[in-house]
This record gives sequence, structure tokens and C-alpha cells, in this order.
Amino acid sequence: MTRQPDLIADVSEILLTEEEIQAKVRDLGRRISDDYAGRALTLVSVLKGSLPFMADLMRSITIPVQIDLMEVSSYGGTATETSGLVRILKDLSSSIDGRHVLIVEDIIDTGLTLNYLVRYLRGKNPASLRICALLDKPARRLVEIPIDYRGFLIPDQFVVGYGLDYGETYRNLRFVGVLRPEVYTADPD
Amino acid sequence: MDLDADLDRRPVPAFAHASEAELARILDFYAVAWEYEPRTFPILFDRSGAVRESFSPDFYLPEMDLYLELTTLKQRLVRKKNRKLRRLRELYPGLRIKLLYARDFRALLFKYGKLALADALTGADGQTTPPRIRTPGSTTRTWPARARVAPPAAGPESTGDAAAAANAVLDPSRHPDHGRRRARRSRAEAHARAEARLVIARGSRTPEVTA
Repeated sequence: MTRQPDLIADVSEILLTEEEIQAKVRDLGRRISDDYAGRALTLVSVLKGSLPFMADLMRSITIPVQIDLMEVSSYGGTATETSGLVRILKDLSSSIDGRHVLIVEDIIDTGLTLNYLVRYLRGKNPASLRICALLDKPARRLVEIPIDYRGFLIPDQFVVGYGLDYGETYRNLRFVGVLRPEVYTADPD
Repeated sequence: MDLDADLDRRPVPAFAHASEAELARILDFYAVAWEYEPRTFPILFDRSGAVRESFSPDFYLPEMDLYLELTTLKQRLVRKKNRKLRRLRELYPGLRIKLLYARDFRALLFKYGKLALADALTGADGQTTPPRIRTPGSTTRTWPARARVAPPAAGPESTGDAAAAANAVLDPSRHPDHGRRRARRSRAEAHARAEARLVIARGSRTPEVTA
């Protein structure tokens, strides 16, 4: 029988409270507003995990911005995606040629997806390309990528909430918490 | 945009472990260029300068100038690899290398929803490697031959010829007698390590060992 997720009981520890997240987002918004004042800025977010962060960050920015969304396939996402190359499932809606682009990510761990995105977006001739990540999990890094705006350094734990999921669940939690290992070790692949 | 169109046309090397093949597939998926065991680094020498022990990191990511070593084996072997890695970092301080332990590899596969595969690829169960795909006459990039790295601080009597000869002996290519050669080499390496500890205990800062 399939186990029913319990949004609260499945979390062993709250790593970042809603208040801590919101304070950090406001701080990032202020810094970005100062740094990009007078420039044509486009925020590019990567679906789906970055949605809450993007929504809060863009409202914390006090200068005019455009937003765009992308989605890329993940390794092992389907049986056919253990071979071949990453695919752009949703591309940019508008040109970023000559615009200053800030990639908005929920979490950076291996850096593999972000490394691909950076290379992809550089090919579209932005005036500049920088990275803003709410969470940075350096213990899992395979590809080093400079993070221009970092929210929190987090330990090597499996976290959910504020957009981050396990099996497409837990994204709607208002905090970031550590998922109990028995939740994911009990599930068959 | 074509990020690296030739990635999927490369001949597949003979991986020593199935976990390495899986990591190569992940790197390919994200268009990260890699080379498999492109270099061998001598890490222990005898007084004549001959290489007594060497280390070949599993992957090299040329765009990041980073070596990756993947270990999914038993703790006893992990300790041995850790020791080799420390030695490598001592002798080649500019080298950027990252060791992925079994738990790191499990986490990587878990991230991609492949936890069961992680179990299958960990330890002895993962020792089965896919058959090598040969592409005779292919115009794509051929797999780089394993490069020998000159020892940075060989013993005073050592010569390049001696190091080269030792490298030839240490070459773990698929020789018909590879198992017995490896066992002999392990005994020789154990002997050299024991002697190296003696030399180090006497205050030597060089990687010499008494032959």
C-alpha cells in the first residue's frame, strides 16, 4: 500500500523557519535592487522548486524587473532519460539579448543542472549572467559554480519545503525542513 | 544550441566498476566533458626513483580542471584510497581532486530517484561492467591513452627512464596475468609502504623508501 505523506510528521527538524527565510529574501532583494539599479534586469527561475523563492524575491526587489521561467529535464526523470542529454522542457519566453540576467535557484547541490543552464543562457548573449540561490549545499558539489547571491549554507541533509520536494510533495511547506530518512528509505524506487 | 554534440558519439571505455559507468552517464546527461583515468600519478618511489605505487583518479573534468575519484567499496579499501589521496595531495598540491564516497554516490542516485540502483552498484555487486563498445574507424574523439605524470620530487638517484620502466610495470591494463601481477604488486607495495614508514619515522621529508 502506498504510504500517505504527512507534511508535518514527516519532517524531523525545521532547518529554516518562515521568518528566517523571509528576512533573508528581503536582504537579497535589497542587495539585488542596489546592484542592478538603472539596468535592464531579467530574473530567470527554474521550475518547479524555485517558484516560492522567485515569487518572494521578485516582490522584494524595488527596481523594474522582467521575469521568465525555464524547466529542464532531470537525469533519471523517466526511463529514457538515463541516456542522452538534458532537455529544455520549457525555454525562455522572451529574448535576454543585451539584458542583465539573474538565475534564481532554490538549491545548488551538485551544480550539474546549473552548470548546463549557465552555458545555455550564455549562448543567448545576455549583458551579464549571475546566480542567486536560496540554499547552497556545498558537500554535494561536483561542478564548482560561483554563487553571486547566496541565502543559506546548509548541511548535507535531505531538505524539503519552500518549493523543495520529495516525490512532488512537501513543496507547499512555508519552512525548510529535514525529511525523516524513513520516509524515503521506505519507498521503493 | 549544441553544447557538446560529440559527447554521445564517443567510444565507451571499459570502466572498472559499474558505478563509474553510471557517473559517466550522469556527466554525459548534463553535457560535462570527462576523461576516464587519463593520468597516472606516481605517489611512492624507491631510492632509485622507480615508482613503487601510483594512483589513477577515475575521472578528469577538463572544463573544471578537476579529478573525481569514486569509491563505493568496503571501508578497508576506502582507508587505503584515503591514504593514497593524502599522498597524492602532498606530492601534487596544485591538483584539484574530489573523492566521492559510497554515501555521496548514494545521495547522487537518490537525487535522481535511483536509490535501488545505488544498492546494486555499491560494493562487489557493482563489479560488473558493461561490454566495451568499440567503434572501429570512427572519426569521433578517441579515448585518450593513459598519460604518465612525471614525479615531482623523485629520489636523487631517480631518472625518467626508471620512472617510465616502473610505470610500465604498474600499468593495470588488461593483461591475461593481471590478477597475479596485481597480487605481486600489492605485496611489493605493502613492503614499500612498510619501509617508507621507517624512512619517514627517521625524519626524511622526501618520498624515498629504502629498496
